[in-house]
This record gives sequence, structure tokens and C-alpha cells, in this order.
Amino acid sequence: MNSKEEVFAGAKDIINQLAVIIRTAAIHDPGNIAVTSAIDRFIAIVNPLITSEGEVVLELRGEFFYLGEARIRYSLEYLPNFDFLIREFKKREMGSIVFKDVLKAEDMQSFLKVFISSVFSSSPFEAITEGMNDIDNLSVGKLRKIREEKVEGEVDIRKVVKKSYFNAVSYTRGVINKIKSGEKVSIKKAKRVVESMVDMILEEEQLLLGMTAIKDYDEYTYHHSVNVSILSIALGQRLGLNKKTLTELGLVALFHDMGKIEIPNEILNKPASFTDDEWNTMKRHPFWGVRAILRLRGFDSTSIRAAIVAFEHHINYDHSGYPGTKKPLDLDFYSKIISLADQYDGMTSSRVYSRIPMPPDRALSLMMERAGTQLDPILFKFFINMIGVFPVGTLVMLDTKELGLVYQSDAMFLDRPKVLVIINNKGEKVDGYIVDLTEKDTNGKHLRTIIKTMDSNKYKINLAEYLL
Amino acid sequence: MELLDDIKAAKDVINALMKAKKAFRMYPENNPMYAKTIEDTYAKFGSFFDYRDDLTLKIKQNEIFCDTEQVYFNQQKEDNLALFFFKDGLREISFKKGFSIQELEEFLKILTVDYDREVLDDDVVTLLWERDFHNIRYVVDEAFLVEDEDYEVEAVREVKDKAVETDELTRAYEDAFKEEGVKDISIVPLSDKDLHMLVKELEKNNYNKMDKLLTIIFEMLYQADSKGDYEDVVHFLNDAIEYSMKHGDLETTTNIIKRTKETVDDPAISGEAKKYLNLVFSFLGSDTAIKLLGEFLDSGIEIEDRIFADYLKFLDKNAIQPFITILGELKSIPARKNVINALIALGKKDIQSLAKGLYDSRWYVVRNIIYIIGKIGDKKAVEYLLKTVNHGDIRVRKEVIKALGELGTQNVLQTLRDCLDDSDWQVRTSAARALGNVRSAAAKSIILRKVLDQDFRKNDFNEKKEFYEILSHWKDNDVVEFLMKTLKSRSFFNRATNDENRACAAYCLGLMGNKDALPLLYKARESNNKLLREYSYTAIKRIEHEQ
Repeated sequence: MNSKEEVFAGAKDIINQLAVIIRTAAIHDPGNIAVTSAIDRFIAIVNPLITSEGEVVLELRGEFFYLGEARIRYSLEYLPNFDFLIREFKKREMGSIVFKDVLKAEDMQSFLKVFISSVFSSSPFEAITEGMNDIDNLSVGKLRKIREEKVEGEVDIRKVVKKSYFNAVSYTRGVINKIKSGEKVSIKKAKRVVESMVDMILEEEQLLLGMTAIKDYDEYTYHHSVNVSILSIALGQRLGLNKKTLTELGLVALFHDMGKIEIPNEILNKPASFTDDEWNTMKRHPFWGVRAILRLRGFDSTSIRAAIVAFEHHINYDHSGYPGTKKPLDLDFYSKIISLADQYDGMTSSRVYSRIPMPPDRALSLMMERAGTQLDPILFKFFINMIGVFPVGTLVMLDTKELGLVYQSDAMFLDRPKVLVIINNKGEKVDGYIVDLTEKDTNGKHLRTIIKTMDSNKYKINLAEYLL
Repeated sequence: MELLDDIKAAKDVINALMKAKKAFRMYPENNPMYAKTIEDTYAKFGSFFDYRDDLTLKIKQNEIFCDTEQVYFNQQKEDNLALFFFKDGLREISFKKGFSIQELEEFLKILTVDYDREVLDDDVVTLLWERDFHNIRYVVDEAFLVEDEDYEVEAVREVKDKAVETDELTRAYEDAFKEEGVKDISIVPLSDKDLHMLVKELEKNNYNKMDKLLTIIFEMLYQADSKGDYEDVVHFLNDAIEYSMKHGDLETTTNIIKRTKETVDDPAISGEAKKYLNLVFSFLGSDTAIKLLGEFLDSGIEIEDRIFADYLKFLDKNAIQPFITILGELKSIPARKNVINALIALGKKDIQSLAKGLYDSRWYVVRNIIYIIGKIGDKKAVEYLLKTVNHGDIRVRKEVIKALGELGTQNVLQTLRDCLDDSDWQVRTSAARALGNVRSAAAKSIILRKVLDQDFRKNDFNEKKEFYEILSHWKDNDVVEFLMKTLKSRSFFNRATNDENRACAAYCLGLMGNKDALPLLYKARESNNKLLREYSYTAIKRIEHEQ
């Protein structure tokens, strides 16, 4: 490995050490030995990079730090410090630090002073920039929105995402039909489909998550499998899982309901409530899932995980679900993730036995009540951060008297998504225009704010109609 | 028209890749040719990067282009680099300047994978994707993933058909003014404790999941309500054994079988379920499972003795035949040693099944089985061994004679006596040694009679010496008297032969440490015969030293 690559490989240490400094400086005075020795270690890591590159820009984009144009990858042990630093940057609306020249300890001490104190200011970012006037070697940049509007000539990414999504649904339908008719299924293709979804999540998380709002009653099984896969990959990505693990998680999620293939159609499509016997049959699907997966694939690392999840995804965090077991199982990590995604998508979809789905925000509220009982509370925190306070598809009334549907969550400001306005402030139906609720006027006041949420299903309003 | 230098360099890169693809299949990583291949290929990339910063190759079914220039063409299906990439949807691949030698090695490994193997779930694109190369970019056509080309169009049309009516929208707008204001959904931020819990959870995520799946499979057994359910459970447990064996994980195999045993012993389990579970024990000793064990043993992976012994405990006598089969197929000595140990343990349960191995067509297998029977020491085995005494291979005959001696029953003596008359001296000495191991008076008499035999006296000195050495095992008067008599014996005819026998007697007396023989030995030390002198001298030294 050449020296430049070594420096980049050590980029995660820069983030880690910066987090350590800020944590220490929050407790001690910047001149304290604990802070100064942490600064010395930081300088020892960062200065070789500055020497080799000239100028180094450390930028927060979405949920990731970038060094120049390279995304900084991190492993498990770095997760707490990465997460801490992201929160500290966001609190201050700070998006980047630019190291212009070789650092001196005094530069970092001065920076830390203004950085720590800025949190008490109403305009923290401005407070930092004012306080940094005397620091020559360092500057900061404001937090940028992840994606600027489409420029002419650019590939319409939404179209690409849409295509990927429907490929996945179509593939899932094909697989399920093949399994039903006893045909062989190519796992190579499944992997490629999931890899494509993982790429989309890494690049365009919110756009692909938005696609999960497409709920097709007739094709519920296929959409549900894909949606659960997407939601699980997205949650896994928030948890810092690597690409390979995300693919495995996505595959496992795609096949989580495999056991339902064996449920007779007359039960699966029954429009009324189930009898006890029918309900008991439904509750056998986790067993049948294990059977279907192991028969289909035999034993390998992915099929083992898939079989476990097929069995556990209805057991619940507090073991209140089904199937009951002789001894309580220590639920698999994937099972916990996938059951969150499964519940959310199930609740917000219309199905044969529940034609009217729950509005996304209400589903989220209900899940919040279940966090700690049916659902893993920590994973739920990550989930809500991912989905946003107002998930895609939520019908909202703005303080401007415009009615719209949440179109895309904002990764940074969870209560300020992009909204597709469908009725303007005069009460007129419009073709749909997108407004960004993070936008402010010249006085720093937000232009629009959500004041009410409503049940879109009550009025048969479907986001899909506007998304597609 | 002459090619431009950069295009020539691109062509060289392709040729180097083709060469490397072959070399990587031929040479293991520790072979110098492996390293040389990487270096040579890397040098070709280096030459290209002298002209440009980026090598972009456009891929068609049978062609590869650099810019608009064709740098590769092959219409054959075999060894077609273009097709190799094309079939998985790869349409463009770029290597950036800065492409490291480590990246090249990884890339070459991807080129060498045998993708046609059915067990492989990855294609070229997946492997490129997983490696996430810093300096390799590629473009993929995902069209072949699409199951139904019209699916998207139809889905969109259906949604549009269900478009909301304006009246409903107006109603929604009017109702919105009557709705309650939005409740503040507070998001509890992640605490450090949360993150540490999560880190632990992620660590746990890396553990082996087989144990968990086994719990689920046994759960399926407890909740089974049909013959089919039981059959499934047995099938999955057998598959689990196969999987762990394939991965050389004997500990997991043993764990599977231990848990099966515990379940069989559970009073809550029905008789029907037990009947099915017993099939798992049979599978453990089946040809399939033992063959997998053999492959794993031959791979050179070390197994802890404790784990192997634990595993053997669960094997039944049905494993004997498969073990005999693999015994003749294994290549490594440690692997054969493990199998021999397994057969020693299993053979005790059923010597008859083990004895079937004596009829194996491979002489070395027969020899091993004889050795195993000898180690087991079951006297019942003698009748089987006796049948192999006339085996066509001398190595087998030697082994069986040895084993018969170790077993030492009365009924082996006649056979061993017959072997003393064999035309092959190796058989004769093996039989004598075997009789020596028997140690009985009858065995002694047989050897004494043999050494007194006039024909025997004419045998090679070393053979005779060996017989006398064996006699030294019996330190009784019969033997001493015989030896003293031999040592004293004089002959006018065949003096040299007589002196050879005397030397053997001196040698034997020395081994026995018989000090009463010293006067005779002193005398023999003065003999004119060099051999007798030397052996007498050595015997004296030995006896005096022991005194």
C-alpha cells in the first residue's frame, strides 16, 4: 500500500480522534492536559495528510463523513464516535472543517473553544464562523443539503430508482411463482437485485425509501417482500453494516415471508376475519418458511440466516408473538431489524383482511408505543431517524394552508421533509409541486411548517399516483 | 494502419490478463510463477498508465474496445474474456492510474473463479461489487435481471387508473381545518449506552448461527404433527451434518448429534419422533458423511483429539464399511492414522464387519485392517485372520503373522509353524517373531525344533541369528541347555556352518545375560572362526557389564 492510501485508510482515526477531543473538551477546559494530549494525538494523525494533500476537507454529507470525495468507511468499534460527531455537527448546522495548512495545537484549542460554546447560541454555525476569525489554518462550512435539484443533462435519478424498485418487485414475483411451481431459483440473480438496492440505499436512500410507499393491494406479497428488504437495508446501513452484510440482510428480508407460499389462497385472500383454525394455519407460516428456505437452498450461511428470520420475525422482542418455543430464543439481530420493517410496511399497506391501511405517521406512533415490548427500542430509534417523523406518504397540512403528501424525508431535519403539494393555499387541486420545509426566509424563519397530519386513505389518496 | 502506442499498451494489458487467468489456475499462491504473473501484468498496466490516467474497456459479446479500437476479439465460447464479462451484464470496466498491485491480485482472483460451479452464488459483477475496488469502476446492464419487461409499465398504469377523484381531495382539504394540530413526536436521541448495547449486538451478530438454527429445527420436531414434518426434520439435521462436515467443523457435527441424542432421551418426545431421529445417527455413519470426513481429514486441517474422540462416540457399526472404503482413498498419513483409530474404536463393537475389510482388493487396506484387528486384540478375530495368511502380497502376510502372534491363541500355532517353512525368509522370520510374542511353551518347542532342523542350519546367518534372538525370550533351562550344547558342539564337516550356529548361540546367551555360560564363551572367544570370536566377545562384554 502506498503512503497516500495508508493516510486514507487512517481517515476513520481522524473522525474518531476528533470525536474524542470534542468529548473531552466538553468536560475540561481546552488547556487541560486531557484535552491537549488528545489534540496532540489528533495532530499526529491529521498533519501527514495535510502535508501530502495540501488542503484537507472533512465534510458531513447526509449520514456520512467524506474526506475529499472519498466516503470514510468505519467499522463497528468506531460507530459510537462517528455517531456522536454527526450529532455534534448537525446541532451546529456545521457541515465541514477545512484544514488549510499544517495544524498547530493552538489552532485546535481556539476552534474547540468556539465549537463547544456555539451550542448555546441561537445561530450556532454563525457563532462558530465569527469565533474563528483569528484562526488561519482552519475554516468551517455550513451543512449542505444532500442533493441539490436536478441540473439539466443529469440522469433522472428518480427514474433509475423507480426502475430498480420495479425490477426487484418483478423479480420477487417471478421467484415466488417459480417456487410455487417447483422450479429452480437462481440466487445469483437475487443477489444482483439486492446489490442494486444496496447501491441505491447508499446513494439515494430517501428516494428508494420513498418507493416503499407504493402499496399495491393486488401485488401485496411481492411489494411487501421488496419493501421489507429496502427498509431493512436502509436500517442496516444506519447501523454501519458493510455492503456485503447489507446484501445478506436484504436477501434474508426478501425471503422472510416465504412460508406464506404454503398458506392456502382461500385463507390468504379471505376478506373477513379468520376463524381460530385459519389463524392457527397463518401462525404456521414461520415453520413453513424455514422448511421452504432449507428445501430451496440447503445449508449455507445465507440460508441459515434466512431460515432463522423466517422463523423469528413474528416472535417479538418480548416474545409475546408467535410461534411459541420451548425455551425463549435470543432473537437474531436480523430478525429484530426485519420485524421492525415488516410491521411498518404491513401496517401501512392495504391487505385483503385489512383494506384500509394505517397512515404512516400513525403507524410510527403505534410502533413507538411498542418499542421496548414488541420491538427493539434501540433499533426503533434508528428506524425513526431513518423514516423521519413524517414518513413518506403522510398527508399533511402546512401552515401556509397547502395540503400535500410527504415526498421525501430529510436526513438531517427529521420534521422538515419535502412535501408534494396537491392542493394550494386557495383550496385548488394542483398538478403537484415540491416544497422543501427546510427552506427559510431572509430572517431565518422557516417558510413552511407541518401543522396537521391526516389519514390519506380516508380520502383514497395514494402517494404512488404522484410518485410514478 | 499502425496502432497508436496507448492502444498497443491496452492490447498488451488484455493479453497479460489472459495469460494471468491461465497462470492463476495453474500455480498456487506460494509458487514463484504466481508472483511473477502479477508483476508482469502489473508492468503492462504501468506501461499503459505512462500514456493515460484511465484505461476504459468497452465490452461486447466477443470484443473488447479501448476508445473505438478493438483490442480483443474471440468468437469461441471457451476462454473468451469478452464473453466472460459480458454474460454477467458487465459492459464497461475502467482501471484508474493508482491501481495497486494488491488490487490487481484481487482482480485476477475474480477472473480465475470457476463460475460454472453450481454451488457458487456469485457472478463476476457480485465479486467486483463486494471487493469495492478503489481504482476499478464498471458499468453494468441490469436488463437480464428483469423477469417481466412490461411489469413497470403495467404497475404504473394500474396506479394511474386508480387516481383519486377531485371531490375526495376537496373533502380532505376541508376536513384538514377541523383536524387537531400535529402532536409533537419527540425522538429520543441515542445515548452512549444505546450505542454500546448496539455494538455488543453487532458483535453477537458475527457468531456462528448454526446452533440457533438447530434449536429451531428441534422446535419444529416438538411441534410436528405429521410424518412429513418428521421427515423434514431428519432431512434438515442430516443436511446440517453434511454442511458442517464440508466446512471441516467436526465440533458442530458432534454438537448436532449430541443434541439429537438429548432429544431422543427426552421423555416428552414421542416414539414416532425417536424412530425418525435414529435415522440421523445412521446418517452420521453413512458413506456420504464418512466420505466428507475423509476429504476434511485429507485437507490437512488439524482436529483436536478431544473433538475427534467425542465424535467417534456417536458412530455406530454402520460406519465401519464407509471407513474401510475411505481408508484406501486417503492420501495423507495423519488422515489414515485418524481413520485407523476410528476403526479400532468401532471394530470393538463389531469385529465381523471389520473383518470384511480383509477381503478388500487393495493390499494396503487389508494390511491396515489386520493391524487394526491386532490392536483390538479380540481373539474372535483369529478365524478371520487365518484366512489371509496366504494372501498374495508379502506385506499382508507379514502383517497377519504379526497380528496372529499378538493374539497368541492356541489355534494360531499350527499356522505359524507352517509359515516357518515358507519359501520367503521374510515370512519365516515374521512367523518366528510372532511365535516369540506368543511366549508359550508350545511356541518355544516349535522354534527349538526348527533351529535343530538340519535344513535350517543351512539358512542365512542373519535369519538364524533372528531365530536365536527370539529364543532368548524364554530364559528357561531347556533353552539354556540347548544353547550351551550348541556352543560346545564341534563338527569336522561343515565347520563354518557349525561355527555360525555357535555364534548365534553365543549371541543368544549374551542377550539372556547368562553368567553360567561365561566359561564356554571365554573358550569360544579364542576360536579360529572370526564370527564366533566376535559374537562370543560381545556376549561376554554384555554379561560382565550387566554383572
